Amino acid sequence: MSQTPLSLDAVSKSFQGKSAVRDVSFEIGTGEIVGFLGPNGAGKTTSLRMALGLIVPDSGTVNLFGAPPNIDNAFGRIGFLPEERGLYKKQTARESIALMARLNGMGRKEAFRTADKMLDTYGLSEAKRKKNKDMSKGMAQKVQLLSAIAHDPEFYILDEPFSGLDPVNQQALEEMVREIAQRGRTILFSTHVMEHAERLCDRIILMAKGRKVFDGSTAQALAKAPRRLIIASQDEQLTDTITPFAKKIEPRMDGSLGLTLKDKAETQSVLERCVAQKITLERFEPKAATLHDAFVALVGSEPEAEELS
Amino acid sequence: MRLPAINLRRALLIAQRDYVGYVKTVGFWVSFFLPFIMGAILLFVASRGINVSPVRYEAILDETGQHRAGIEALHARSASQELEAITRRLLEALPNDEKAQGLVKTIDAEGFDSARAQINEDFPLIASQLEKAETASSKMVMIPAPAQTIEAIKPFLDGQEMAQYEGDAVKLNGVIHIYETDSLQVDYWSANFNAQEAQNLATRYFRDLATADYLAKGGLNTADYFQARSEAVQVKSFDPTKVGGSGAGSEDQAVTIADRMPYFVAFALAMYLWMSVFSGSYMLLTSMIEEKMNKLLEMMLATTRFSEIIFGKLMGIAALTLTATLPYLLIGIFGIAGVIAFGDSAVGEGIISAFTPGLLGFFAIFLVLGYIFYGSLFIALGAMSESIQDAQTLTTPIMFVLMACMFVIPLGLSTPDSPILIFASLFPLSAPFAMIVRLPSDPPLWQLCLSVTLLLIMTLGVIALSGRMFRYGVLSGSGVKGLTDWIKRKILRRKTN
Repeated sequence: MSQTPLSLDAVSKSFQGKSAVRDVSFEIGTGEIVGFLGPNGAGKTTSLRMALGLIVPDSGTVNLFGAPPNIDNAFGRIGFLPEERGLYKKQTARESIALMARLNGMGRKEAFRTADKMLDTYGLSEAKRKKNKDMSKGMAQKVQLLSAIAHDPEFYILDEPFSGLDPVNQQALEEMVREIAQRGRTILFSTHVMEHAERLCDRIILMAKGRKVFDGSTAQALAKAPRRLIIASQDEQLTDTITPFAKKIEPRMDGSLGLTLKDKAETQSVLERCVAQKITLERFEPKAATLHDAFVALVGSEPEAEELS
Repeated sequence: MRLPAINLRRALLIAQRDYVGYVKTVGFWVSFFLPFIMGAILLFVASRGINVSPVRYEAILDETGQHRAGIEALHARSASQELEAITRRLLEALPNDEKAQGLVKTIDAEGFDSARAQINEDFPLIASQLEKAETASSKMVMIPAPAQTIEAIKPFLDGQEMAQYEGDAVKLNGVIHIYETDSLQVDYWSANFNAQEAQNLATRYFRDLATADYLAKGGLNTADYFQARSEAVQVKSFDPTKVGGSGAGSEDQAVTIADRMPYFVAFALAMYLWMSVFSGSYMLLTSMIEEKMNKLLEMMLATTRFSEIIFGKLMGIAALTLTATLPYLLIGIFGIAGVIAFGDSAVGEGIISAFTPGLLGFFAIFLVLGYIFYGSLFIALGAMSESIQDAQTLTTPIMFVLMACMFVIPLGLSTPDSPILIFASLFPLSAPFAMIVRLPSDPPLWQLCLSVTLLLIMTLGVIALSGRMFRYGVLSGSGVKGLTDWIKRKILRRKTN
């Protein structure tokens, strides 16, 4: 089937008078890996819940595989990992995975066989007969992800899959996502950690305060980020020389200056001007743009530290 | 109203998970075997003749020297009467052969004490039971007074000194002090004043004595008086609705123990129904809270409908409740079988005839509807709760209603035509329990139909309502505030801040 996995058209949702999602539209094409980014409270989880039909939008249209989202239309085709983590504490890892696989239509024997195979594949063999309550947080999170994807769905919706994981497990999870993507599956994952999106996504959708503020490729997003460079010299003329090119100049702890270039200014021009002024440069280091920079540029303000990293 | 769609396979998987989740716990099996363990302990206690209350040693300090022997004789006679009653009950369970008939004749003609030798010789089973009963009934033993003044006896009563009885040191529980001032005085001294057997024995003795004195003044004999009382006409009970027989004193229409059995059976069924609904609902509540704590519901909702989760939980916990109450059912079945096989045949027949298709049919209807009604409500409230405290707050009003039903059920035995019971049998929240106890008294058909219809409508309403509450509780809000917000938004259609 080649229906578009997901489309939202002018979707809005309010809770108790507070707008959570405002006029959001986007489509997710087959085989895409899409990062759904934004700080906490941006409307990501609400949008994903509407995408799954768990919440009905106040206005707008949601289509999942070309039809309104419900179990009948999407049964067995979706793998959903919610933001809230949990497993039945008294179940073993294989029982947890097999239960979700069976709820997604798999037969009993096949479900347990798949669970065993997945646990072996992802290095969790020792957890097979371990009760969930006895597992580490990282291990339990992996088991929950495996539970969500054991039936090999066409479309993966992962809400903050990396949250709460240590760097080693985050790396392992990234590899899992890459492996799934290589099999041609569609992935939509929300995160407020920009680095994951940068490493994994073909495309990103950026949300802020319930609105979609960007939808495009990662390269397009990075192009929106202001160019920066770090420059250092003992010459007192440096600041005056670079000021015409600068949107912002920030002194750094090591004595260098952080320079945010104006939209039409070029790094090359700054260097040429310094050379022309015979300024001896101790450091001239263009900084690669990040999605964080792009976000700040797109949203127009700096998110709070804990909201976006 | 449109009923929610349900995929039975997914609902059964949810049911299986809930059932297995509970059955795998040690606590479940402890509570499963508890009735058997308690039954075994009770049987052991009964078979060994172990007293649940201690033997109490009582003394009589009779300064008049006229009453001690009389009180002790009355005590011995009371014990003998109790043993006679046991013997007569056991004889009814034994084959009614010549020996048994002979024993009854001996007891009737010569008194129980004269028949003891015959019992020991021909009825070893009864003899052994009497021996145990004698031990068990010897809760009060009369011993000689350890001193001759009440002041000298007091140290024995508070345990400072021990009395002697058959070579053993025993603690004196109480003393009946009989003395004369201007008139006869009787005091009962004991530090354990809640144990009143000795006091009651003395009271009975002096009442009998007063009766005998009064009769003697009129020139009447006490024994003749009691004989006349025992020969008084017995008032028999007749039921005009019973089929067969006619005219005054028709034996076919006489009320027997078998006629009273349906009321007891209905009472037992109502209690079982209440216990099943109460324990099932409570398990559903805790299961929902556990579910919320496990935080797996949202993931399941991507592949399972709300209605399937609710229905699956109802099925799983129903199976669990059935399993958990199985010991009580088995004990009940074996008890009835025991009564039929070894007890009064009239009682056995009465129990069997009480299980009419009508009673069983309505029991099934009320069990299913009552369980779904309360179960759905508790699931919804569980979904609205984040903790046990939330759940306790939210379920308190319903718990009060359920507890009130417990007080209504016994009315079916004493006053089945009570207006409170009639109202309770029509009111949907109490109908499952109250209507069952009314069934033996043949309530009007329209009341039966109205009761079932109202309960059915309420149950369907609660199913629809609980689905919405469940959805809101899982995805949006919880606690008392969550519930009030939900009521304002969904019921009152008001926006909340």
